[in-house]
Amino acid sequence: MSKNKKLKVGVYGITGCAGCQLSIIFNEEEILDLLSLIDLKAFPFIKELNTDEEFDYVILEGLVANKLDLEILRKLRKNSKMLISLGACACTGCVPAYRHFTLKENYEHLLYKRQEELQDIEPSPHDEHVKVDYYIPGCPPDKKEILRFIKGSVRGVLPRPHQNPVCIECRRNGNACLLDEGKPCLGPITTGGCNAVCINGGLECWGCRGPTKDMNLELMIKILRDRGFDDRFIQDRMRTFAGLKLPMLERVMQGSKSKVLQTRFDGEKKFYE
Amino acid sequence: MQVLRLEKKRLLHFLDVVKKGFEIIAPVKSDLVRFSKIYHAEEIYLEKQSYFPVKEYFFRKEETLFQFRGTSITVPAYAAKKRMFFGLRRCDLNAIKNQDIVFIGDMGDPYYKAARENSYLLGYHCNTAPSPYCFCGSLDLVDFFDLMFFDKEDHFLVEVGSERGKSLAEKYREFFTDSQRLITQNEKRIPGVHRLENKDISGFYDHQDWKKGADICLSCGACTTLCPTCYCFEIHDEVKTADPCKGERRREWSSCQLQEFTRVAGDHIFRKEREDRFKHRIYHQLQYFKEKYGVQMCVGCGRCIEGCPTRIDFVRILNEMKNGKTENNG
Repeated sequence: MSKNKKLKVGVYGITGCAGCQLSIIFNEEEILDLLSLIDLKAFPFIKELNTDEEFDYVILEGLVANKLDLEILRKLRKNSKMLISLGACACTGCVPAYRHFTLKENYEHLLYKRQEELQDIEPSPHDEHVKVDYYIPGCPPDKKEILRFIKGSVRGVLPRPHQNPVCIECRRNGNACLLDEGKPCLGPITTGGCNAVCINGGLECWGCRGPTKDMNLELMIKILRDRGFDDRFIQDRMRTFAGLKLPMLERVMQGSKSKVLQTRFDGEKKFYE
Repeated sequence: MQVLRLEKKRLLHFLDVVKKGFEIIAPVKSDLVRFSKIYHAEEIYLEKQSYFPVKEYFFRKEETLFQFRGTSITVPAYAAKKRMFFGLRRCDLNAIKNQDIVFIGDMGDPYYKAARENSYLLGYHCNTAPSPYCFCGSLDLVDFFDLMFFDKEDHFLVEVGSERGKSLAEKYREFFTDSQRLITQNEKRIPGVHRLENKDISGFYDHQDWKKGADICLSCGACTTLCPTCYCFEIHDEVKTADPCKGERRREWSSCQLQEFTRVAGDHIFRKEREDRFKHRIYHQLQYFKEKYGVQMCVGCGRCIEGCPTRIDFVRILNEMKNGKTENNG
């Protein structure tokens, strides 16, 4: 493979914690091989010399939270054949987008009213502004998944995006179901690909990789209600990482109230066994 | 078949001696009951049925099928440890038999075959139903084991079920005495496991009651993962970063309950509806497999019900279809 035939790649970040870019670097053992596969034109996070030009693809971390972010996003989109959204902020809006569900007046006096130069706009993921060609979700994203994407791009075969719920990997790993233990696990409605890493460690899924296309949201809400969680809690939990991807949440919550739906077929009242 | 007698107090000693020649896999209770490698015979837990099935030791969760380098292929050696499985229930054993039909009889799968050929199957007969979800008695299970242990208070009666079982009993003859009697058919019956009244479901495909199950289904795939007979998988390639022309092809468990599972070329999904997928699982278990191989795939262990987050009891749904009860029960 001659050098000029290599794919020109840029890695950038807008508003975010830089953890997703770190996830790329965490592939320590393979990072040098990785760099020989592609022509990394820009990666300001770790590189001194960066050239802004025509890219084959740009991997972009972070979400749009101010005007500068939006300018960068649009410019990169224009300069690149493909745009890859990296991480939960880029794909779903993640925690910063939770602002949509709170009252701005309650907290803006703390900082935004004091500093004139801070001019924010509604926090939003990439695909609300430009076309996104591929998503690598997760908070943080799985480092192996990033690697798989880059390797796939070199071969001209992009990996099939994950669509299955977290439960598939979770059960395969031999975990006990946290819903049975009474924990508010969102695994059944959350896109997998993370190897159920949180549940392997005993923490319930918070849904950082966003909802699956095939989710049974109504049933999930009902299950959580039956396990004693109130609507406020359920709503907050579901909106923490992917609120903007669940625009129907309020409607479904209202609608499912009147509907009789048994969440335990055997009619047992006891959830802790 | 030959029947031997083993005093109960000698069981642990027996297993400890066997452990020197084999890796013993038996049910162990941690948070849940699962089949694991035994280090001390006292770890074995026989009171309840295992939550996870034993199939992962034969049809592995992840299997490397071959390594490739460009277009040349290297198939790995089909190595498998010499293992003795202890504490398999009648349902577990029949599930292995049913997977044998698919992987050995039908496909000649060398990975599965190697694991099976190196395994000795020692069963443990249920005197009572080990789980409230059991319904193995409704299905046509057969005797399939190398040795079967019948729990008789202070001793075990051990029935020999195969030539391998016989040679195994010969090898450890010092632990066994000859039994004065045989095992009767009545002793092999497990009480309270005949819940499924509706085994022939060919006429129920369009029945409205399927919705009862599909409505409370999350499509999480717990049922198929915990099923001892479900054998669906998907295949993908993993390439090396140093050289993307090199890599390996892997097989891993998948589930018919997923939309992705039926996504085909042209992005068409042919079982898009949850109800279709739910129905497909039951039909595969109770009808399609029987049409093809002459035996039902389901062995009635009830793990798919016990492990389901909403406990979808398809046995009850099927019974209600047959008895014409359509009201939602609560």
